[in-house]
Amino acid sequence: MLKLIARRILVAIPTLIILSMIIFGLQRMLPGDPIQTMMAEESDPQVIAFLREKYRLDDPVPVQYLAWVGNVLQGDFGRSLRTGLPVAEMILQKLPITVQLATMAMIMAMLIGIPAGILAAVRKNTVLDYIANAVALSGMSIPNFWLGIILIMVLAVSWKLLPASGYVPITQDFWLSVRTMLMPAFVLSTAVAAYLMRHTRSAMLGVLSSDYIRTARAKGLLSKTVILKHALGNALMPIVTLSTLLFGDLLAGAVLTEQIFVIPGFGKLIVDAVFTRDYAVVQGVVLFTAIGFIAMNILADVLYIVVNPRLRHPQ
Amino acid sequence: MTGTTTSQPLLSVEDFSLNFSGMEKANLIDGISFSVLPGQTLCLVGESGCGKSVTSLALMGLLASPPARVKCGRALFNGRDLFTLSERQRADLRGNEIAMIFQEPMTSLNPSLTVGHQIVEGIRRHNAVSSEDARARALEMLELVRIPAPEKRFDAYPHQMSGGMRQRAMIAMALANSPKLLIADEPTTALDVTIQAQILALVSRLQRETGTAMILITHDLSVVAEVADRVAVMYAGRIVETGSVEEIFSDPQHPYTLGLFGSVPSLGRRTGALATIEGSVPPLEKMPAGCRFATRCPFADQRCHREAPPRYEPTPGHQVTCWYAPLEDHVRAA
Ligand SMILES: Nc1ncnc2c1ncn2[C@@H]1O[C@H](COP(=O)(O)OP(=O)(O)OP(=O)(O)O)[C@@H](O)[C@H]1O
Ligand SMILES: [Mg+2]
Repeated sequence: MLKLIARRILVAIPTLIILSMIIFGLQRMLPGDPIQTMMAEESDPQVIAFLREKYRLDDPVPVQYLAWVGNVLQGDFGRSLRTGLPVAEMILQKLPITVQLATMAMIMAMLIGIPAGILAAVRKNTVLDYIANAVALSGMSIPNFWLGIILIMVLAVSWKLLPASGYVPITQDFWLSVRTMLMPAFVLSTAVAAYLMRHTRSAMLGVLSSDYIRTARAKGLLSKTVILKHALGNALMPIVTLSTLLFGDLLAGAVLTEQIFVIPGFGKLIVDAVFTRDYAVVQGVVLFTAIGFIAMNILADVLYIVVNPRLRHPQ
Repeated sequence: MTGTTTSQPLLSVEDFSLNFSGMEKANLIDGISFSVLPGQTLCLVGESGCGKSVTSLALMGLLASPPARVKCGRALFNGRDLFTLSERQRADLRGNEIAMIFQEPMTSLNPSLTVGHQIVEGIRRHNAVSSEDARARALEMLELVRIPAPEKRFDAYPHQMSGGMRQRAMIAMALANSPKLLIADEPTTALDVTIQAQILALVSRLQRETGTAMILITHDLSVVAEVADRVAVMYAGRIVETGSVEEIFSDPQHPYTLGLFGSVPSLGRRTGALATIEGSVPPLEKMPAGCRFATRCPFADQRCHREAPPRYEPTPGHQVTCWYAPLEDHVRAA
């Protein structure tokens, strides 16, 4: 198992190198000059020259790249051009917020998607199945910003059930924090819930028609045992892996939702950084997200083995 | 073997017809009747696709309905009609009083549960016993089906066992609750030839020792000769002939039985090659209104195609459904 994890990490290294180059390269191709943005009003050429020197913006690009990578490896993602704060610190400060949002969204997506998928499979080609599929399709196609705005208008503004926006740290007031994030987490979860529903449904359908389900029924086991233990036990294996990957998607995809609900998370950090051409922050955030994504991939592979007895206990 | 004919049948299937939705023209299983006496073995034989598996699954209550639909008939098991029981009542019988072994040992066990657990689960479903007692019973069963090192195999996953071992485990599972009836649907077809005989001997020995009645579906006539008390010959969803194993082998009356068993050389003269039956089963919608075998039968005439043949009983318990029974008359006449 450890060997496998080590191998997967090794395989990930070239990916990371290429990725870091792309992140760095693309950044340099963005139109606009960061110093100009910074110096919106003031434009003393001397100050500009000093800053360009300080942030090594006039070095050849490969030199800039190597310097950047060297620092990153030491945990130094540089300093924000805008705030002057260390990027690593900014990231670590915002990360828990986005992780909380993504985790809540994932839990909701699983609580909605998996049971709906089971139900749709067990009641295949009935009204229930059609409804589940239709809802899933809308879950995938309704834009998050639209759903977010509607929910804010209905649940927060008209009915005053939930806070409209903002963020309360989980350490400060657990329930208020969860309540505040309920709506954004739901909005974020819809696409993943729909995806999980469809995959659970098709995995369940595949498993339900297999011979060992017939055997389980031949033993006289009751439907709920057959479905929840024998069928779901096997159908969930690929779903576990998929969920891990989807969690990576959620972390990366929280940007828009955070904007709608004014959550000061990772997404806000990156949007602000892009608009102000804060290179160091953008690079840091994107690289960090990419590493998180690759880590999720490795975790998915490991989990696949953990849940699969055929791989866990080879012949 | 045939001396027990006076006892009450354990299972008595009467005029049973079944269809799948979407094929309403002719019944897939069309008015079949047969019975199984306690402790006896009935072999169900017939060409591939004639409905042997569908019949056994219907008896087990394992066909999804819809699309499967029992059109008419009864299946009296210990006097209760299986087809009128509730799903819960049927589940209570399954794996308890009626058990089944399937053809595919490689895929018939749940890959994510240990073999031992899968046996224990069946025991505990039908008996209020502690998990230790269930485990002891499961180990006893694993020993009974001659699985080496049962303690170790108990915790093995199916993929860690060979096909033969898995089928032994399936047999252990099926017999764990001492069923009154065991349905074995080609239990050895998927196995290596060398193992087939062992598994069959095992099933047959256990079945006799425990006094379990058995419906054995097989394509192997030497197996039929060896283990059957009675034989039912199926063709295209109907039972064309049923009788004791001696009657079927030494005095076959239906042309299809003759063809299937490839015997009785005197017939060859009249008909050409009956031993290998020519042609194929017509699709359900093209099935003749009369005898379903008419399209391939060397004796068939207009009447056979048009009108359903009567049931003829040369001796009590030996029944054949054919216009030309008794066959001897016609063979001699020619
Ligand atoms: N769910 C289903 N829907 C429609 N038709 C079916 C279904 N299951 C089986 N059949 C049809 O019923 C017929 C009988 O199938 P069955 O499996 O009982 O044959 P069999 O006698 O067991 O053959 P074999 O010797 O190959 O096992 C086949 O023509 C098959 O196509
Ligand atoms: Mg079959």
